[in-house]
Amino acid sequence: MERQESSENGRESNEGISVKEENILNFLDSVDGYLILMDSLSSTLRQGWLELASARHSMGASRINSTLFDHKLHPASTTLQVNEQSAGPDRELPHFTLCKWASSNNPEKYFEEAKFGEDELLKKSNSLRHRDISHNSGNVCFPTFRFDCLGKMTRDQGFDLEALGSISMRVLKPVTNPLEMVVEISNMRASLLCAYDQVQKDMETATK
Amino acid sequence: MYGFEAMTFNIHGGYLEAIVRGHRSGLLTAADYNNLCQCETLEDIKMHLSATEYGPYLQNEPSPLHTTTIVEKCTLKLVDEYKQMLCQATEPLSTFLEYITYGHMIDNVVLIVTGTLHERDVQELLEKCHPLGMFDSIATLAVAQNMKELYRLVLVDTPLAPYFSECITSEDLDDMNIEIMRNTLYKAYLEDFYRFCQKLGGATAEIMSDLLAFEADRRAVNITINSIGTELTRDDRRKLYSSFGLLYPYGHEELAVSEDIDQVRAVMEKYPPYQSIFSKLSYGESQLLDKAFYEEEVKRLCLAFEQQFHYGVFFAYMRLREQEIRNLMWISECVAQNQKSRVHDSVVFIF
Repeated sequence: MERQESSENGRESNEGISVKEENILNFLDSVDGYLILMDSLSSTLRQGWLELASARHSMGASRINSTLFDHKLHPASTTLQVNEQSAGPDRELPHFTLCKWASSNNPEKYFEEAKFGEDELLKKSNSLRHRDISHNSGNVCFPTFRFDCLGKMTRDQGFDLEALGSISMRVLKPVTNPLEMVVEISNMRASLLCAYDQVQKDMETATK
Repeated sequence: MYGFEAMTFNIHGGYLEAIVRGHRSGLLTAADYNNLCQCETLEDIKMHLSATEYGPYLQNEPSPLHTTTIVEKCTLKLVDEYKQMLCQATEPLSTFLEYITYGHMIDNVVLIVTGTLHERDVQELLEKCHPLGMFDSIATLAVAQNMKELYRLVLVDTPLAPYFSECITSEDLDDMNIEIMRNTLYKAYLEDFYRFCQKLGGATAEIMSDLLAFEADRRAVNITINSIGTELTRDDRRKLYSSFGLLYPYGHEELAVSEDIDQVRAVMEKYPPYQSIFSKLSYGESQLLDKAFYEEEVKRLCLAFEQQFHYGVFFAYMRLREQEIRNLMWISECVAQNQKSRVHDSVVFIF
């Protein structure tokens, strides 16, 4: 009887150890994935800066500069959806999804949400704004910057005649890859933090 | 046909031609560019430029140096040289020198209007204007709501006034209209400059016709390629092409209906001077076309100095300096961003 109990205890502790190891491996995998994505983002942004310099070289500094940024508020054409996903018993993981070229039947609704300035977004970063309570999801709209010569993001009619005088305009495609990477990094970070929580809990259990 | 320029040119233009030829000898050489391309930091670039004519303009700049500072100071040097020549020039050379700056004036007008549309501060916009394109009432551009007001309030008293007849409308200024306005103004300016040079006659007319025709053809190609896949109609595209140049009129007809870069290539390869440019590119590629055009332009500008007694040397010198400043800007950006492997992508050697 005692032998049976001890073997059961041994099996449970073996299983517990393997679960802990699995959690640690998950955590290390998340860290690895996160670092790879960060490196990839850094490389993409570096490339983007050089392309910007190349455009400024071809088109001239007067056509590629900060005055092209529009300080007006516009309905966001790219939005970020934050959902809660189940990651196990009693655990929810935030999941980020990028929604591009979203069109709304009610443009004013988008404009209302786009009134969040960057400062407000920082202050309210922990609170999600609910667009529709029934869906129980939060939408955060980023104010959209209009790039006259760089992007076409807010032009509804698709007329992207931004710059005719220089070929380099074609080199600058709308910069969406870094946005996707940032979202991927956010998701990876969420899973990394979740794995870290799990590892920490295992360590606390072990010390008790 | 040439007149007796050799007999009379030096009376009014000899001194300034000598001055501009002296400036030309100060342009950076391939050896200078090789040294600059090997710099590790912007301070190294400053150190190498201190041995050139840019030295006095950069020596007092504090660290850390920025790429925009280098470009700004180099541009300042060009502006100083231009103003020295302009104040000593008599007619018709003074008018010719003013014509050279109208392109920058157009860019400045568009910059102010675009920036105002985007609710930027006027002072901030004025700081970004090209110094060669400044005029007295430029700050008042910010109050205009449409092109009619733009013309009536500000531009009627500027040299750009005659170019506005083709694009005066009551439409509000928005990004699309502004871009079309820019290209329409530039087309009118090029045509007017071309007519002025033709009136001057002689070697100036011949050499400047070639240089301006190349500029017009290059713009036609750029407009075509950049408007592929947009809603710009064929007629609107055709309206933006200048009415002179090697491609006028049959090349323009074919370019107006081109739907992709390979069709543009097919059109351009019919013209021997442009065959060599497009032969450097692989099919479907347009990114290297800019550099190919710059190289061809530099070649033609350098040839302008092979002849005497004409005003083309002034135009050529200004353009070569602008190319040099572009080169310095690119080298500085590559060094600042630690991307020295890309430094030769866009540098165009002059000598």
